[in-house]
Amino acid sequence: MLGQALVLFAFISSLISGVSYYLNHKRGDIVNLNVARYSYHAAVISVMGFCSFLIYLILTHQFQYTYVWNYSSTDLPTPLLISTFYAGQEGSFSLWALYTAIIGVVLMGYASRRNYESSVMFVWNWILAFLLLMLIVKNPFENIWEAFPKEIIQTGPIPPTVTNFLWLDEVKGIWAQIPQEGRSLNPLLQNYWMVIHPQILFSGFTAMAIPFVFAIAGLLKRDYQGWVRIAKPWSVFAATALGTGIILGGYWAYETLGWGGYWGWDPVENSSLIPWLVCIGLIHTMMSQARSGAFVKTNFVLSILAYMLVLYSTFLTRSGVLGETSVHSFVDPGMYAYWLLLSVIFLFGGTGFYLLLSRMKEMPNVKIEHSIYSREFALFLGAYAICLSALFIVIGTSAPIITQILQGKSSAVDTSFYVKTTLPIGIAVSFLAGFGQLLWWKNSNKNKIIQGLILPLILSVLFTVVMVLIGVTEIQVLLFLFTAGFALFVNLIIGFQIFKGDPKYSGGALSHIGLAFLFLGFVSSEGFDRMETVSLERGKPLQVFSDYQLTYVGMKNVDAERYGFMVDVEHGKEKFTVMPVMHYSNYTQNVLRHPDVKNMYTKDFYIAPMSLEESDGKQESTISLLKGETKNLQGIQVKFIDYDFSNMDKTKMLEGGGFSIGAMLEIRSGEKVEQLMPLMKNDGGQVNYIPVKSTFADIELKINKLQPNREDPTKSRVELSFVLPNGNSQSVKLETLVVEASIKPLINLVWVGTITLLVGFIITIVRRSQETRLKSQV
Amino acid sequence: MKIKVILGSLLILAAIVFGSISFMESNIEYGDFQTAISSNKKIQVKGEWVREMESDFDANSGKFTFYMKDDNGEVLRVIFDGAKPNNFELATSVVAKGKYENDCFHASEILTKCPSKYEGDTEAIKKSL
Repeated sequence: MLGQALVLFAFISSLISGVSYYLNHKRGDIVNLNVARYSYHAAVISVMGFCSFLIYLILTHQFQYTYVWNYSSTDLPTPLLISTFYAGQEGSFSLWALYTAIIGVVLMGYASRRNYESSVMFVWNWILAFLLLMLIVKNPFENIWEAFPKEIIQTGPIPPTVTNFLWLDEVKGIWAQIPQEGRSLNPLLQNYWMVIHPQILFSGFTAMAIPFVFAIAGLLKRDYQGWVRIAKPWSVFAATALGTGIILGGYWAYETLGWGGYWGWDPVENSSLIPWLVCIGLIHTMMSQARSGAFVKTNFVLSILAYMLVLYSTFLTRSGVLGETSVHSFVDPGMYAYWLLLSVIFLFGGTGFYLLLSRMKEMPNVKIEHSIYSREFALFLGAYAICLSALFIVIGTSAPIITQILQGKSSAVDTSFYVKTTLPIGIAVSFLAGFGQLLWWKNSNKNKIIQGLILPLILSVLFTVVMVLIGVTEIQVLLFLFTAGFALFVNLIIGFQIFKGDPKYSGGALSHIGLAFLFLGFVSSEGFDRMETVSLERGKPLQVFSDYQLTYVGMKNVDAERYGFMVDVEHGKEKFTVMPVMHYSNYTQNVLRHPDVKNMYTKDFYIAPMSLEESDGKQESTISLLKGETKNLQGIQVKFIDYDFSNMDKTKMLEGGGFSIGAMLEIRSGEKVEQLMPLMKNDGGQVNYIPVKSTFADIELKINKLQPNREDPTKSRVELSFVLPNGNSQSVKLETLVVEASIKPLINLVWVGTITLLVGFIITIVRRSQETRLKSQV
Repeated sequence: MKIKVILGSLLILAAIVFGSISFMESNIEYGDFQTAISSNKKIQVKGEWVREMESDFDANSGKFTFYMKDDNGEVLRVIFDGAKPNNFELATSVVAKGKYENDCFHASEILTKCPSKYEGDTEAIKKSL
C-alpha cells in the first residue's frame, strides 16, 4: 500500500510540476514557478521514499511482496541483497526513476542559472512521469497473493501448523500464506559487478535524456544556438557514464561470466552501445555549433534521436520481442508495459520532430563558410560515420523485427554482420580522428597540414610494415591498423603540444589517443587470439600452444557450493596457478562456469572450465569401431560385425514397450574365437547397457554408444567401453579436467584505451562546464 | 557547397547499399534439416534435443555431439564446436546455427530456449511456503 501510494504521489507531483513549469514557460508567472519547484521536490522525495521502502522490504525479507520473493533470499550477503533492488524489471525502472529524480535536482539549479529552468524541467518532468507510469503499470510493490491468488489465498480456519500467514479479511476468514524464503538472485549475477555495473549504466541512461531535454527546451524557447553550449558538458557526462557502464559490463562478461571475450554483439550489449555512439556523434557536431554556429538542425536531430534510441533499446531488451533469437531469455513484461514503451517512443520522438519541423523555417540559416579542409567538415564526416555505425547496429539488432515484417518469420543476423559493417567505419573514424586534429576551424593552411602529416604518416607506415612482417595479411585489417596508428601518432604529437600549453585543453586529444588504443586492442585481442580446448588428466602435464605447459593439480572448495580447479601453468621461466571455478546451481539447475584470467602486461592467459570427467578407477577405456573393423586390445582382437536389430519390434516400440539392440562382436585371442553380443536394452524409456564377458579372454565389453547409419550401413559405428585385466582398480579416482585455454595478446590496450578515452571526457566536462559558468556570468 | 551536397548524397547512398548487402549476407534464416542438406548455407534450425539418443562431449576435440529433431520430425546428428551449452537440460527447444557437412550438422552456435522464469512459478511458490 505505502509503496504504491508513494509511486502514485510521485507521479501526480511530477505531472503538476510539469504543467506548472509549462505555464511558467508560457507566461513567466512567478507563482507557478514555486508550485513547480515544490511539487518537483515532492516527487523527488516520494521517489526516494518508495525506493528506500523497497530496499527496506528487501533487507527485512518481506516475502509477502512478489518482487522481494522473486529476486532475494535470506542467505544473500548485504551488498548483493541491496543489488536485488534492481535485479528485476520493476526494480530497474525504480532505479532509473530514482536517478532521474535526483539528477533533475542538479539540472534544475544548473538550468535555472542559465535561464532555462522552466522549459528544461517541463520536459524533464514528462520523462520522470513516464518512468513512474511504468511503475504504476508494473508495480514493484505487488503483493504475492495478487500474483498467485490460487496458491496463496485460503479461506476458513488456519491449521495450527501454519504460522506464516496474514489475514486478508478476518471477518470472512480469508487469509494468505506467506513464503518463508525467496527465490534468490540468479547466481550468474551474484558477484560484485552486480553492485557496480547497473548503477553506472543507469546513471548513463538517465543522463542521455539531458541533451534531449535541452534540445526540446531550445526549440520551445526558440533559442537555436544557446542550448548547445549549455547541453554540451552534460552530453559528455552522459557519454562518460554510459561508456563506463558499457565497458564494465564488457569486463564483467570477460572476467566473471566466461563468455570468452568482452564483446559478443549481444542485443543487451548493443542496446547501450547504440545510444552511446549517437551521443559521441552528437558531441562532435555540438562542438562545431558552439564554435561556428553550424549544424543547428543536425544537433536537434541527434539529440532527439539519442534519447529515442535509449527508449528503443529499452523496448528491444525489455519487451520480449527478441525472445526467440537471442541468447538472453527476455521476460515478457506484459501487454501494458509493451505498449507503454512503444507509445512513449512515438510520443517523445513525435513531439521532438514536430517541434523541429514547425520551427525549421525560422531557424537562422547561418551562412557558414568553411572549406573541405576545415575542422567542421572533418567533425561532420566523423559524426556521420559514427552515427552510421550506430544505424548498422540498430538494424542488426532489430533484424528479428525487420525480417518478421518483411518475410513473416523472424531471423537474426550473424555476428559477422557487425564486424563487416563496422570495420570500414572504424577505418574512416580513426583516419578522421587523426586528420581532423590537424585541421583548423573554417579553413586550414595546406602547408601546415602537410607539415603536420609527415611525421605521423612515416610512423604509421613503419607500424604497418611491422604488422605485415608479423604476419597480418588481410587488407582491411591492415588499413585499420594503419589508420588507428595514424590517429595515435597525430594525437600523441598534438596532445603533447597542447598539454605543454594548457593541460585543461588536452581532453580531446587524450580521448582520441584512447580511441586509437582501443581500436588496436580490438585487433590484437580478438583478431590474434589463440584458443584450444584441452583435457587435463590430474597430475599429468600437457603442452598447449606449443609453449605453455598445463597441469591440473586438483580441486578445492571455494565455498559451500563452488569448486576451484587449480591448474599450474608453466611458460618458459614463468610459473603461475590459475583457478577457474564451477558450481552446480540449484537455481538454474545447471553447472555455472567461471573463468580465471592471468593478466600480464602483453597478454592475458584466459582459462575457462568446461567439465570435470571422473572415472571409477577401473581401467575403463573406450574404443570406437566401424563396421567390419578390428582393433587390438592388449593382444585381444575385437571386431565389430554388425548391429542386431532382431529384438527391435516396431509396434512394441511405439507402444513404449521394451526392445534391445545388440552389437555383434567377434573376439579373437590366439587360436580361440567367439562371438559376443553386448546389448542396449530399453524398457519403456529406461535404458540399460548389458555388458558381456569373454569366456576365454579376461575382458568385459559394454556398449557405450550406438551410432548406426541407415543410409550407408558400412559407416555404422559402435563405441565400446571395456575393462581390461590387471586394472589397478579400487585405488585412485581418475579425474580429467576439460578447459578452454586462450591467449589474448595485448588485451590491456582495450582497457587502457577505454580509461584514456574516459579520462579525456572527464577533462572535457570540467573545462566545458567552467566555460559555460564563465560565459553565463558575463 | 555543391561538392559537399553531392559527396554527402553519395556517402549516404553508399552506406545504404553496403548496409543492405551485408544484411542480406549475414541474415541467417530459419530452416529445417532438409534445407540445410540441400542449400549448403549457414542456417539456423529450431528443434528439440532427442534425449534418448547419445549425447556426449568429446574432451579431445572439444566438441559436443547430440541428436536433434527439427520441427518436421527429422533427426540429425549435431556436432557443436564447444561444451554442452548452459541450460541444455532445461531447454524446451534448441536453436542450432550452422551448416550441413559430412552427414552431420555442424553448429557454430547453439541457443537454448528455456521456460521463462515465471512459467514454473506456481511450483516455486508452493515450495517456498
